[in-house]
Amino acid sequence: MGKEEGSGPLKGVIGTLRKGVRSMNDSMVPTDDTRSEIRIKKRRFRVILLTGTVFLLAMFLISISISSGGIIPITDAFSSLVSAISKGGENLTTEELYVFASRLPRVVAAIGVGAGLAIAGCMFQALIRNPLVDPYITGVSSGAGCLAVAASTTIASFGFLAGYSSYIIPIAAIVGGLLAFAFTLAVAEGAGGSATNYILAGVIVGFAFSSVQTIFLSLNKDNLTNVMWWLYGSFGNITWENAFLVMIPALGISVIAMLWAREFNVFMSGEDQAKLLGLNVRKFKAIMMVIASVLTSVCVAFVGVIGFVGLIVPHACRMLLGSDHRLIMPASIVLGACLMLFADIIARVVISPLELPVGAITALIGTPVFAYMLVRRGREYDG
Amino acid sequence: MTDEKPMMEIRDLKISFDGFEALHGVSFDVPKGKLVGLIGPNGCGKSTMMKCISKLHGHWTGTIVIDGEDTARMRPPDVAKVVANVPAEVGSIYGMSVMDMVMLGRYPFVNRVWWESEEDEKVVREALQTFGLDHYRRKQVTLLSSGEKQRTLIAKAYVQNPKVMLVDEPTSHLDMKYKLEVMEYLQKMARNDMTVMVAEHDISLMARYCDLCIIMKKGSIVTIGDPKEVITEDLIREVYEVESCVGVDREGEIYVLPKRYLRTEGE
Repeated sequence: MGKEEGSGPLKGVIGTLRKGVRSMNDSMVPTDDTRSEIRIKKRRFRVILLTGTVFLLAMFLISISISSGGIIPITDAFSSLVSAISKGGENLTTEELYVFASRLPRVVAAIGVGAGLAIAGCMFQALIRNPLVDPYITGVSSGAGCLAVAASTTIASFGFLAGYSSYIIPIAAIVGGLLAFAFTLAVAEGAGGSATNYILAGVIVGFAFSSVQTIFLSLNKDNLTNVMWWLYGSFGNITWENAFLVMIPALGISVIAMLWAREFNVFMSGEDQAKLLGLNVRKFKAIMMVIASVLTSVCVAFVGVIGFVGLIVPHACRMLLGSDHRLIMPASIVLGACLMLFADIIARVVISPLELPVGAITALIGTPVFAYMLVRRGREYDG
Repeated sequence: MTDEKPMMEIRDLKISFDGFEALHGVSFDVPKGKLVGLIGPNGCGKSTMMKCISKLHGHWTGTIVIDGEDTARMRPPDVAKVVANVPAEVGSIYGMSVMDMVMLGRYPFVNRVWWESEEDEKVVREALQTFGLDHYRRKQVTLLSSGEKQRTLIAKAYVQNPKVMLVDEPTSHLDMKYKLEVMEYLQKMARNDMTVMVAEHDISLMARYCDLCIIMKKGSIVTIGDPKEVITEDLIREVYEVESCVGVDREGEIYVLPKRYLRTEGE
């Protein structure tokens, strides 16, 4: 699904995928085709998983062979990885150490975060049924940011805790994210629980937490290095310990959320219509909101606020694949992971050995791609 | 067309919103396989009654029995297997295709399964053919004409294979050709033993197609009966406070021409 790629042997795969996608979206033309639509969908699902895995693997290999320190051939990177794993991560050579201890964790985290943010965005867009919605819509990023900043600026005053800052900041961020979500939920449900209620409640809760964050920042101007990376999003601080803390819950929750893909389809036809089809709308919405918020909080906690992926990846998938969440959700997972890996690669090589904030890169890559798609498909998209 | 027990029995149906009683103990029976028209001014309780029947509103009192089963004791997915609902409009649906939209109607039957079965697809494809939509099944619903959109919504309810289909203002956005087309589809379904209840403002259209008319005003039923017998100038005056001309055309169908509205007094 990595749209951003277009070179080498992968070109053929992209071509096939694009053809498949185009045939599905040739919606202006009546069809005489008598094939089973469900079989076509199942095949498309397999194509998504297969191409997604191929791209992800390609990105993965490129990513472990590149760092701000330099580029090594992919084959060398791969053999270093294999030998490092076979050694169990001990007594490594310099190159093995680079690949195994420094690049691999951030690759693992990027996959988890990319997939997690994309599918969380996909879920929120469906739940709130507004195209401008991203995973941060319920104020999660502001809440997480606020408590992360508060923790990192006050941690010095608790001497005994200072050594654990790499854990305390993420934990504070998760707590903050969920706290903000709880406030948003309370306000929105109190107001009637409509989509607009959620958006407005998320905005005000987000503002409140951002303001507190600004106050903390301005009171602690000299102690900001710890937290700047976090505010702009980076995989630079990822270590082996926290890489799995991001990846396992993020990918796990993403895959679990996919179990409800059909319910998301039903929900998209309108809350009343979903209720009339027998879906317990209130319960579904509440559970999915909590799942998506936890997912977003986990992502934000370890790598900071990375925008755009959660907004455009699901839209791109909807534009390419139609409205069936059984296709959009897995596609969002793989495209989100690929895009994040790609952005992270760019962030590392552009001004090497320095790193750019990955959030800025995702937006820079995403904007032209998305603008192109919007121009091509926007009219059909919103009817 | 049988005179066995009614398909739908409604007894003393009442519902209130914030102290305002929207339905004051409505009771009536609907036989199987009839096209029933619900007629009445805006706010008379037509939509509310349909929402009670489909259990979208849950806090009504009274009894609603469908094919011998009390809906109060049924879970929402089971209600969805006997009552289908056709909304007045397609919502905002991010480019859902006709096929995907109609397939949603199978949801109550394939709960907890990720993919629908080939059997479900067969049911849906047959419905698409019945409603002349099969050619457009990959087209996005938002790109359809108003008449096709309405047909898609009806097809979605149809694949639920319901005993009772509730249709809310199906022709409000349609031109006369599509109005007739939609009513003919509804009539065809009624002829196939489905009980179809339509709320609609076009009384001439109702009079032409419906087997039975339920005339409502302010949360109560004014009269029930064969449209050709119950729709009169007096009834229109009483229900709508409008002077009208009710005539009969050469085919024996009645039509209603509204003339002028009467000012309400002391109400």
